[in-house]
Amino acid sequence: MNLTFTLNGRPCATETPDHWTVLDLLRDGLGLMGTKYGCGEGVCGTCTVLADDRPIRACLVLAAHVRGRALVSVEGLEADGRLDPLQIAFAERGAAQCGFCTPGIMLAAKALLLENPAPTAHEVREALSGNLCRCTGYTKIVEAVLAAAPSPR
Amino acid sequence: MRLYPFRLVEPESLTEAVDAFGRLDGEARLVAGGTALVPMIRLGLVKPDRLVSLHRVPALHEIRVDNKTLVLGATATHADIDRAHVVRDGWPLLAEAVRRVATPAIRTSGTIGGNLAYAEAASDPAPALLCHDAEVRVVGPGGARTVPIARFFRGFYEAALEPGEIVTAVRVPPPPAGARGGYIKFTSRSAEDKPLIGVAALIVLDLSGRCTDARVALGGAAPTPIRAEGAERILRGEAVSDAAMRAAAEAAAQDADPLSDLMGSANYRREMIRVWVRRLLAKLRDDKS
Repeated sequence: MNLTFTLNGRPCATETPDHWTVLDLLRDGLGLMGTKYGCGEGVCGTCTVLADDRPIRACLVLAAHVRGRALVSVEGLEADGRLDPLQIAFAERGAAQCGFCTPGIMLAAKALLLENPAPTAHEVREALSGNLCRCTGYTKIVEAVLAAAPSPR
Repeated sequence: MRLYPFRLVEPESLTEAVDAFGRLDGEARLVAGGTALVPMIRLGLVKPDRLVSLHRVPALHEIRVDNKTLVLGATATHADIDRAHVVRDGWPLLAEAVRRVATPAIRTSGTIGGNLAYAEAASDPAPALLCHDAEVRVVGPGGARTVPIARFFRGFYEAALEPGEIVTAVRVPPPPAGARGGYIKFTSRSAEDKPLIGVAALIVLDLSGRCTDARVALGGAAPTPIRAEGAERILRGEAVSDAAMRAAAEAAAQDADPLSDLMGSANYRREMIRVWVRRLLAKLRDDKS
């Protein structure tokens, strides 16, 4: 089927098989490998991307369901060659170990900060409750998100 | 890993959706958010030939109040319901329950109609809707009808839907005047899991602290979500004393018909019902607001 939507700020018109998910489309249709395939069942969170500023599981959402919507993957976090404050905070604080969960975590965090520019540590943990880090490096992740908040407490 | 291939149909009206879903060529499934169906397809539990998507039927997305009754379109998502001011203001128990569904990204996609049609015994919103005596609107080849939510759950993962029927809306009457409501969820594995036991309650206390209305409902306590009618009978007309709460919690444990699974045994579930019904009642009784 034909599909048009906004991808990382730019219009995107593409073709996709009916049974493809957003994750299939991003990785295999459009060659954007930043979004990871983890469990495939919506549990681990590593495929999290934004649709209209809200977090979705790319492995669960059918590609057809993002028609006309604004999608942001990890490749779209930087703008005009400048890293997002989240990316800077994650890098500076070493908030990644193996890095496989990092794209999904940064997008889940981005959704939180768009809605709540001054979250508490508890609110950060709640927003990331659907994102597993099997290296278990959660402390630095939470610190990095708090450091990247537009209006920190 | 790809999904087993299917053809996707995207009707733009309810009439088209009923027509597309009711056609008898091969196995069809309805899809709204996909949070339940897509994993089932991926795991090979279902292999539908076609999916009928409800996402382009505008009337199904609505959240509005109609003559004091909250009307939730079937494809209203948990996140939309939680963020709707009318729900937070007028149906706080429901807002609290949908906020506890899984994780933020699941709440963005998962829908109230899908949650009910899936007929998960450990649904988070179902006990709240049972306390509100909600009604489920369905439409199918035989026309439209209304099913009281207490009769909507027919059995383990089985909703009272006839072949070709689609959930279109949930109608939620307001809570009784002065009601205190709450939902608590006990998870035995991780915070975002479905509940081992979920307890919702709406109670009304008069000035002397006597309970004039009590509605208690349980998730994860039986093959379907249930009202704990024995607990309600004990509470109605009584002061909510520690002894009354203990008796009501015991009655709720007897109302239950729990299953054993990887989350916990039937005996453990019954014990947790005793604990969490009592805790919720104490919280509601002691709530000073």
